[in-house]
Amino acid sequence: MADDILLSVRHLTHCFRLSKRQVLRAVDGISFDVQRGEIFGLVGESGSGKSTVARCVMNILRPTQGEILFNGVNVCDAAQRRANKKMLQTQRQIIFQDSASSLNPRMTAAEIIAEPMQINHITTPRGSCRAEAEFQLHYVGMDASYLDKYPPELSGGMRQRVAIARALSMEPELLVADEPIASLDVSIQAQIINLFKHLQEEHGFTFLFIAHDLAVVRYLCDRAAVLYHGKIVELAPTAELFSNPCHPYTKALLSAIPIPDPRKERARPLVKFDGKGLRGEGRLEEVSAGHLVWKEAET
Amino acid sequence: MNEDKFVQVGIRPPAEMRTAVPVKRRKDFPVVAAGVLAVIVLGCLFCGAVMTKDPAYMDLVNYSRPPDREFLFGTDTMGRDIFSMIWYGGRVSLLIGFLSTAVSTVIAVVFGSLSGMAPAWLDAVLMRAAEIILSIPNLLLVILIQAALGDANIWSISLVTGVTGWTSIAKVVRTEVRQMRESEYVVASRCMGGGFFHILWKHLTPNFISSIMFMAVMNVRTAIVSESTLSFIGIGLPLEIISWGSMLSLSEKALLSNAWWIILAPGAFLVVTLLCITDIGSFLRKNRKQSNL
Ligand SMILES: Nc1ncnc2c1ncn2[C@@H]1O[C@H](COP(=O)(O)OP(=O)(O)O)[C@@H](O)[C@H]1O
Ligand SMILES: [Mg+2]
Repeated sequence: MADDILLSVRHLTHCFRLSKRQVLRAVDGISFDVQRGEIFGLVGESGSGKSTVARCVMNILRPTQGEILFNGVNVCDAAQRRANKKMLQTQRQIIFQDSASSLNPRMTAAEIIAEPMQINHITTPRGSCRAEAEFQLHYVGMDASYLDKYPPELSGGMRQRVAIARALSMEPELLVADEPIASLDVSIQAQIINLFKHLQEEHGFTFLFIAHDLAVVRYLCDRAAVLYHGKIVELAPTAELFSNPCHPYTKALLSAIPIPDPRKERARPLVKFDGKGLRGEGRLEEVSAGHLVWKEAET
Repeated sequence: MNEDKFVQVGIRPPAEMRTAVPVKRRKDFPVVAAGVLAVIVLGCLFCGAVMTKDPAYMDLVNYSRPPDREFLFGTDTMGRDIFSMIWYGGRVSLLIGFLSTAVSTVIAVVFGSLSGMAPAWLDAVLMRAAEIILSIPNLLLVILIQAALGDANIWSISLVTGVTGWTSIAKVVRTEVRQMRESEYVVASRCMGGGFFHILWKHLTPNFISSIMFMAVMNVRTAIVSESTLSFIGIGLPLEIISWGSMLSLSEKALLSNAWWIILAPGAFLVVTLLCITDIGSFLRKNRKQSNL
């Protein structure tokens, strides 16, 4: 069973020091496991700490506490990280929210896609880097005419595809996608989501998919965790989460999804969540198999 | 009021819509300066074809001759032909200008990027150090290092002027890098395992090159001036290495003997070259401002 776990986050805490006295706990002791080949969703409102988790997983930020095991390697430990440097650099890739800033405006699409191969001196299975870039570009649904285009010449959806192609060029085991569709139009969002689903089915990548859009999570993810103020309040298989939400915050979130029928929409109560019961200590408790809910400790 | 019901308001008729203003690069480009500079640089590079005499040959009969048919710009106090010396010596002056600029730019880019990528405390230390160096008068520093290095030659002069002239470029580089390092493509590159020099070369340099171009060009000018100044005050190149600076260093004696051509010829070439470089430099700066809009 332990072999099936690709990414394991244990008691991860990250604090931002805002000033001498002020410390912001952006992520507060969260734990979850991502199994090989699944799409794990991380949902929460803006500012709940989703990006911080992603950045800790990618070693962009150093966690204040806790450990992150990737493929059995503790990535928070400098010695272990150094020993497995190559594996970590190639097997973990991230896709950022804003493709306008995650691609260097002065590099062509071909150069961008080939960059990780050049850094890691990977011998390209298709001959030249350019051929490899063309292959990856085809793979995400673009043709070779885009190879020499610069990011500012591409549309948002195209740019995000280039970013995905860059991440895929290493054939990573884990793809961390930090709100990859939040900056796109709705119709393009659907294309990109379908691309992800297709890639996952074809290749069996493992995804850590971060979103604030519940509908997307429902469509794409196998399991999902709901994050609120840096804590996981509920973690369950997606179907279970949507059919049987237990935590009041999850209920509030779900009630905010509009129903495409005005009569039902008007009659539907909007559940409000006041943040009660999340101030102090507590822990996740299992209510049914694989369904964990935050329980405040009794004082 | 518009009577026609079918004209939509709020949409400009196509004729009125301004097409993107074409960038007036060609028009502003200092053609004259570039042309004159090209002539000077090419003349110096291929001085063998231009020279009429051997620049190092001391014609003891014809010393301090005013310009005439044979000696176009006259001869100096040692009987060398000034016209030939100008082209021959220009090579040394320009070489020193470019070499020392290369040295300064490399130091500035590495130091500035290092400081820009470093954590805040190291950045502060490095930048204060740069400011301290900047605050020492350049000439003083050059003289100090030159004295320590011993006898001057082309390489040591280039090195010395290069080593003292990088601080202002480094500050610009550092500011630009500090802005860029939070950008996600740098973070992404680091996630993929890109090292410092990879990020520097692939991501940072292309983005700040245009903003240091002007300063680098001006650095060529400063280096040529430094060489001349050093030679003029007698700690630069020795007399037997011909450069515009070492030619000017003869001017003291020349003034006493009323030989104006000895100063005027190398002086005029120096000033014209500097003016051309300045002109091109300010074109680069203006052009950068345009492209930033
Ligand atoms: N570099 C930073 N310095 C200080 N505070 C930060 C920094 N990055 C994020 N934060 C804070 O951490 C919290 C979580 O941020 P983030 O992980 O980006 O949330 P999300 O991605 O869920 O919107 C926010 O309150 C944000 O203000
Ligand atoms: Mg975010």
